[in-house]
Amino acid sequence: MQILIYGTINSVALALYSLGFAMVYGVSRLPNFAHGALYVVSGFITWTLLNSLGLNYAVSIILAMIATGIIGALIYQFVLIRVRGMEISEIMASYAIGLAILEGLRWGGFKGMTYTLPAFIEGSTEIAGVPVDYQRLLVVGIGAAVVALLWLFTHYTRIGLALRGMAQDERAAMMLGIDSDLMAVAAMGFGSMLAALAAILLLPLGNIVVEAGYNVLILAIAVCIVGGLGSWMGAVIAAFLIGFAQILTVVYLGAHYQMVVALLAIILTLILKPSGLFGRQKELEERV
Amino acid sequence: MIFLFAVLLILPGKIALAETPIIIGSPLSTAFLYGWDAERAIKLAVAQINASGGVNVGGEKRPFKVEVIDTRDLEPGVPVSEALLAVEKLILDKKADFIVGGPVRSEAALAAMPLLSKYKKVSILTTGVLTPKYHALVAEQYDKFKYCFRIHGEAKNLVGEMFANFTELKEKYGFNNLFIIAQDVSHARGAAKVMKAVAEKKGWNVTGVEIYPTGATDFSMGLLKAKNTQSEIINIWMDMPESAILLKQWYEMKIPALPFGSTLAAAEQPGFWEATEGKGEYTLCNVVNAGNAPSEATPWTMKFYDAYTKMWDVEPEGLGTSSSYMAVYVLRDAIERAGSLDSDKVVAELEKTDVMGVYGRLRFDPKSHQVIPATDPKEGAVGSIIQWQDKKRVVVYPKSIATGSILLPPWMKK
Repeated sequence: MQILIYGTINSVALALYSLGFAMVYGVSRLPNFAHGALYVVSGFITWTLLNSLGLNYAVSIILAMIATGIIGALIYQFVLIRVRGMEISEIMASYAIGLAILEGLRWGGFKGMTYTLPAFIEGSTEIAGVPVDYQRLLVVGIGAAVVALLWLFTHYTRIGLALRGMAQDERAAMMLGIDSDLMAVAAMGFGSMLAALAAILLLPLGNIVVEAGYNVLILAIAVCIVGGLGSWMGAVIAAFLIGFAQILTVVYLGAHYQMVVALLAIILTLILKPSGLFGRQKELEERV
Repeated sequence: MIFLFAVLLILPGKIALAETPIIIGSPLSTAFLYGWDAERAIKLAVAQINASGGVNVGGEKRPFKVEVIDTRDLEPGVPVSEALLAVEKLILDKKADFIVGGPVRSEAALAAMPLLSKYKKVSILTTGVLTPKYHALVAEQYDKFKYCFRIHGEAKNLVGEMFANFTELKEKYGFNNLFIIAQDVSHARGAAKVMKAVAEKKGWNVTGVEIYPTGATDFSMGLLKAKNTQSEIINIWMDMPESAILLKQWYEMKIPALPFGSTLAAAEQPGFWEATEGKGEYTLCNVVNAGNAPSEATPWTMKFYDAYTKMWDVEPEGLGTSSSYMAVYVLRDAIERAGSLDSDKVVAELEKTDVMGVYGRLRFDPKSHQVIPATDPKEGAVGSIIQWQDKKRVVVYPKSIATGSILLPPWMKK
């Protein structure tokens, strides 16, 4: 039972880490290596609004999500748009921005282990004899809701449909009057907001530290590669595969190998099915 | 005429200020607790010494000057070579006369030893590095590594100190089951191995050992293993920031085992209580030396504590604070006795060090250059184990300086 409960929690956390990355790549084919930095920066924005400006927690969260979305959109509009289509340059530019954000935070004094966000609901309960805290249960609930809302958004709203159109075939979408750059900016903004949402849900479990940015990026990349770059649903399924594999590894092999699971998943996917479970990139080459 | 008068008036002061400073090179992982606490403590000692006239080198008063380079060796994924570059840059570029502080990570400090020999630079380790291999290497190859000293406690002392407490808990509450959680880094892995061996030798039932990779963010399975095996103590060796998650999870899951850490960086900081909203209460933590938490170990302890708090607007935080501070004073004394900056002469004088410092009587073992530990500050360097109790870091060990005793969380009381 403990494997089921904590496997689910771990999987939902991985899905939350990676949904923003998957969305940006899915729409604009842009590997946003600043994703982890946006995750961390949103945590610090929330902390600052809450503790330094004394704003209400809910207001701080909303403002932090909006601010992170704007930062993401600005990164695209002023930097990444210039290198769009040049894959190596995109990776280098976005990684450099991420690095600048993270090291800038450290340089600005955001270091140490005392930056924390309060849990939404304090306390814990037992499910079939397994203790679990309410915040983690909330993560599962909100995570599931986010996936459902994302599906509804991309299937029933004009912007969502435009984003899907871009993800499916950019040229065809452009022929139908969809502004490619505008959609890429929107995707980057939404993707950044998803990173912020993940941060706001998951950071109350521990503390806000700059190093988390690097870990989140690695995990998001692992999930997206296994699920198939650009596939949102693939990312969710891959999150569950890796999430449960990690928990099973901890239980049966030892926690020591936990991080190996994500990296091994990347290697195996790239060897056996480079396009991932649901990715369409290189799919044709694989068939041929 | 007026110009000449002005020059004559200013000149003596200028000459005094122009004395060549003695450069202390400090390779520290400054973005981390064990780096910045050491940097602040070194700067405090240097400020105090310079304010009192500087260092008397063969009749000439010279000030100390600190040059700090970030080694980044506590950051995950940063190779040891970065720390070595920092040490070499301090020696060659910054012209450091002495090295005080780090590198902070054991792996990096061990790798830096041949470099210090090559340049014949006296180094006093003050923070982070706990591996017993460091002073063992000095003892084994004295001629090569005689320039290396360590002024803070090492893993074997820490293990001994913790077992003194485990024994007390065994006698008082009948505890016998120990679960070990460690971070996947050299000193922590080594310490976990030693803890397991010693515990089994002493009749403890070691219910499990979990090694977590640096950066792990979920400890639920390890904690549940501890719970399911009826462990009464969780011994934690973890200096990564995510250790705060472990302690919060421990509280949320109400695991009936006392968290007892060493190099448990998150719990060392005075801000830990607020950061965990009190969820870290009852956490025990070895802060290596007295002075890193408030106590009356020696008359100097609280003077240092208060001076540090006044200068940096925060209490001494991590395990490298009091030792980094004392290293500068010990170095000054050795230089003054040697009357020279010559490395071999300073080594000879450091070996004769015998001073009552912030955390007790400070002497180096002449063969291994490891500070001599004790449980009584009159005899040697004393450690400190603290427990978080009602918003405060209460020293519970050694008894000679304790300000309280170990308490159990309500869910562990029978």
